[in-house]
Amino acid sequence: MSTLSATSTPIQLSSRADFEAYRDQAVQRWASLWNGNQTVVSVGIGSCSVAKGALDVFAACEAALQGQEGIVRQVSCDGACWMEPWIEVKRPGQPPVIYGNLAPSEISDVLAGRLEARAIGVRAEQPLGSIPPLARLPFFKHQQRIVLANVGVIDPDSIEDAIARGAYSAYLKVLFDLSGEEAIAELTASGLRGRGGAGFPAGIKWESGRKAKARPKFVVCNSHEGEPNVYKDRRIHEGDPHRILEGILIACIACGAERGYNYIGGEYPLAIKRFRKAVQDAERLGLIGKNVLGSGKNVAFRVRTGGGAYICGEGSALMYSIMGVRGQPRTKPPRSVEEGIWKRPTVANNTETLANVPDIILKGGEWYAGIGTEKSKGTKLMTVQGPLKTMGLVEVPMGITLRTLIEEVWGGMRDGYRFKGIQTGGVSAGPLKEEHLDLPIDFDSLTSEGGMLGSGGFAVFDESVCAVDYARYLTAFNRYESCSKCVPCRLGNPALVEILDRIRLGRGAEADLPLMDRTSKHIIELSLCGLGQVAPAPLLGMMKMYPEEFRAHIVDGVCPSGVCPISADDAVLAAGD
Amino acid sequence: MAQTAEAGIDLAVVRELMSHFKPQDHQEAQELILSALQEINEHFGYVSLEAAEIVADHLDTTVNRIYGLLTFYADFRTEPRGRHFMLLCHGMSCYVLGSQQLVQDLKDRYGVGDGDTTADGELTVQVVNGCLGVCDRAPIVKLDDSFHGDLTPDSLNDVIQRAIAARRAAEGSHVNPIRDLHSNPA
Repeated sequence: MSTLSATSTPIQLSSRADFEAYRDQAVQRWASLWNGNQTVVSVGIGSCSVAKGALDVFAACEAALQGQEGIVRQVSCDGACWMEPWIEVKRPGQPPVIYGNLAPSEISDVLAGRLEARAIGVRAEQPLGSIPPLARLPFFKHQQRIVLANVGVIDPDSIEDAIARGAYSAYLKVLFDLSGEEAIAELTASGLRGRGGAGFPAGIKWESGRKAKARPKFVVCNSHEGEPNVYKDRRIHEGDPHRILEGILIACIACGAERGYNYIGGEYPLAIKRFRKAVQDAERLGLIGKNVLGSGKNVAFRVRTGGGAYICGEGSALMYSIMGVRGQPRTKPPRSVEEGIWKRPTVANNTETLANVPDIILKGGEWYAGIGTEKSKGTKLMTVQGPLKTMGLVEVPMGITLRTLIEEVWGGMRDGYRFKGIQTGGVSAGPLKEEHLDLPIDFDSLTSEGGMLGSGGFAVFDESVCAVDYARYLTAFNRYESCSKCVPCRLGNPALVEILDRIRLGRGAEADLPLMDRTSKHIIELSLCGLGQVAPAPLLGMMKMYPEEFRAHIVDGVCPSGVCPISADDAVLAAGD
Repeated sequence: MAQTAEAGIDLAVVRELMSHFKPQDHQEAQELILSALQEINEHFGYVSLEAAEIVADHLDTTVNRIYGLLTFYADFRTEPRGRHFMLLCHGMSCYVLGSQQLVQDLKDRYGVGDGDTTADGELTVQVVNGCLGVCDRAPIVKLDDSFHGDLTPDSLNDVIQRAIAARRAAEGSHVNPIRDLHSNPA
């Protein structure tokens, strides 16, 4: 793997001028990389593309370029899962061309220009021969990339690449030019709301963090996305870890916090590896530590990893996990900004929220507030799963409709699949149907129909999926992930799964429908934390959107999709767990 | 690489792994417990009582607390893995495209559910309640170090049998893997 990262050991920088000189050099090196007389091949290497053979593609590129004027570099997956493994080829005097869906055996032909059928797009305004501009493809056309600006462009293991593309310039501004209040004022003016799902204004949170008196103070980046259809944060970590680190460091300086944390889900080894490397490089360069760049400001940093418990995405559970105990939420108040890690004030933000911060500081809050809708500013990362043609992670302005996303960006349903609905808000809300697809996506618009933006995770399902069975899957997820601390969630969710199993087996009674309503209400109203309070939402949503399917199971004894073991015996119920 | 039951956990290696954790104070030691356990879990495939005791000593805590963590966080195992280790993704893409049938089939064919090891010690299955992140090839599994996508119950069985056969061939064993597995119904 050592050939994949080209960064040399950075030198220690001790003043603002040092940093600016380093940045100028990096910018020059970046420019000469692209303007030289060499072929530059960039291979998209993320956990997703590695699973599809990207490392073999990388090796094939190195072999094919042996003895020629050219270099092979790694970048990260840029969100376009559908074209992996992909490479970008920059030939001297030509704009870069992206080739996708490659096998290692095809690489030598691609590099020799003999396999143009694999070309997907060119990074230019104008077509190159018959190759269309990448930005005009439906998948990219609707995107506006702020958080993802460098993802798939820089080598994520190279702090030099990142700095050449503007990383840590906003940090410099906060260290030297802006006071904490001024930085927070920009954030407040931007209207940025928390991207983890709740949508709490980030500026207000930072403000209370800054005002908190107790010492030391901490900033925590919540990078524990555990929902079964969200993969945005791990792609930012894999593609541009320095942006996240810069966001956390800015938050530390602005709020006057002594130490920043990033809590990353343990199931993303590559994200952890690349982020740790970013922290190491930033430490070596002198961007973390005592008297950073001679500014007189100190900031420390720690990376912590989770152990596969979804609940640890909840604020207080996350902090308990950092403190080395079971991640079980506690009652609030006190809020974490008053009493967080080690009972000290702790500002906790989602990864995507913090990744937006550097650009807001650099370009101003007003610039950011010009993007998006009235109450939901900026862009949002969206991920999707299900039988779609061009799946992947996209960054689109708030206010885009689900229809545009599904039919254009994600390419519509695969052949042979018919759209039935789209599950929204991860596992924390209900589904939406065809007639709701023209709703704009923002924090508030989907809720009227029982949907939710949440963390931007969607799952499209087709007519082979049964609403009752799907509701069981979603409820069973929450049952499994319940931390078992409080009774309504611990006992209520298994009860819902039991009732759903009864219905799936054709033994449901009409009284089960109001029973599920009542049980859900108990769980929602009496649970301690956010997980329990939304755990029954997918079930309630399914019951609201597809009541006829529930009735068909109960009254007619049939599963319209043919999924449920409606006539099977008890053994199946026991085994279906 | 994960080790199997017969090999046990080499405690000298655990001590070596622990030597990289150098907490400055008691607070930091507590913050490092999970990371330390992850390191061991990744190295050996599980955390044994003896290994847990070393972690507890090194980071100034009790083995009871360590077991509290091992049983709470889904990534940890306290029993050795089988010779092959499979993560079965149960994320939404995989569910929508049929991962439930794979889970069911593993139960019918091999008698294993989430976290179980086949009676012959060949295969441990862990169902991932989150997502492995290779959604456009759903349903997908990660068997040992490689991913296999677009699976049906039959093609998954082929994948498993091929992996077992390949390992046995490499070890020079002459046992028929298929007959052997079927002779051990759980």
